[in-house]
Amino acid sequence: MKYHALRVCANRGAFEAVPAEPVQLDLQRVRGGFELEGIQVLDCRVMLIAQMEREVTVGRDGRILIKSTNGPEAERLLQHVEAVLASAAAP
Amino acid sequence: MLMSGGIDSPVSLYYLLRQGHDMVAVHLDNRPFTDDTPLEKITDHLRLLEARFGRKVPMYVLPHGPTQIALMRNTDRHVGCVLCRRFMWRAAERIAERENATFLATGEALGQVASQTLSNMRTATASVHLPIVRPLIGFDKQEIEAVARSIGTYTISTRPGVCCQAVPDRPATRSGLVQILQEEERVDVEAILDDCVRRAVVV
Repeated sequence: MKYHALRVCANRGAFEAVPAEPVQLDLQRVRGGFELEGIQVLDCRVMLIAQMEREVTVGRDGRILIKSTNGPEAERLLQHVEAVLASAAAP
Repeated sequence: MLMSGGIDSPVSLYYLLRQGHDMVAVHLDNRPFTDDTPLEKITDHLRLLEARFGRKVPMYVLPHGPTQIALMRNTDRHVGCVLCRRFMWRAAERIAERENATFLATGEALGQVASQTLSNMRTATASVHLPIVRPLIGFDKQEIEAVARSIGTYTISTRPGVCCQAVPDRPATRSGLVQILQEEERVDVEAILDDCVRRAVVV
């Protein structure tokens, strides 16, 4: 799954990444992927809130929001989340 | 008065307080789709305006996250912003009835965002019966910002915060009432509202 570049969200308190193509994530599998790595996840049914170094939310539509105002940190967290999504999507 | 924590609603409230109206603030708390910053901003807005006008503005905080979850699970995301607004209006009207208020008010200005096109405002407010006062309806953004700066609310409103994660990628800017009503049939409107208002907290 490919993402558009990370961008600061409109209210400047977080970074957001939007999938380049429309997707529907299986949040149960994604949740399992996070939990395998020991990351605590709150399941809101339409999105997951992962307690990483910063709070990260992953929507059913694949949108990722990273509650950080630090670009390099957000980029690193995005890469981590992308890896979790890739492993969750693997057969 | 519906308060969001943004630039417009405290300016709108300022004009209504200046006219001498007794106002009650209502905030639909959108967590977990936002963070704590809207609530913090509104608390500071009210503190500032209360000091300026020398009178208390009670604030009702209502949980809106569960409503958003129900809408996201069951309805067309494209019209999510309009449906969200309709629930906000209805919840505010319930509080208005509880407070014997005679009107509802917002900081809406025509055409600013997806939910504030004339078409979407019409479909959103068709859900309520009380008259709606919009002191800023014909203002442009620069005018509103100038007033916000002069009354001291601008710096509070523009603190960084997390944007609403329930907003769809391409929200509808035109919505028909028939379509909206069909979408609403997919959720239990009264149960959602009852739950929301029952959990209101007065600050």
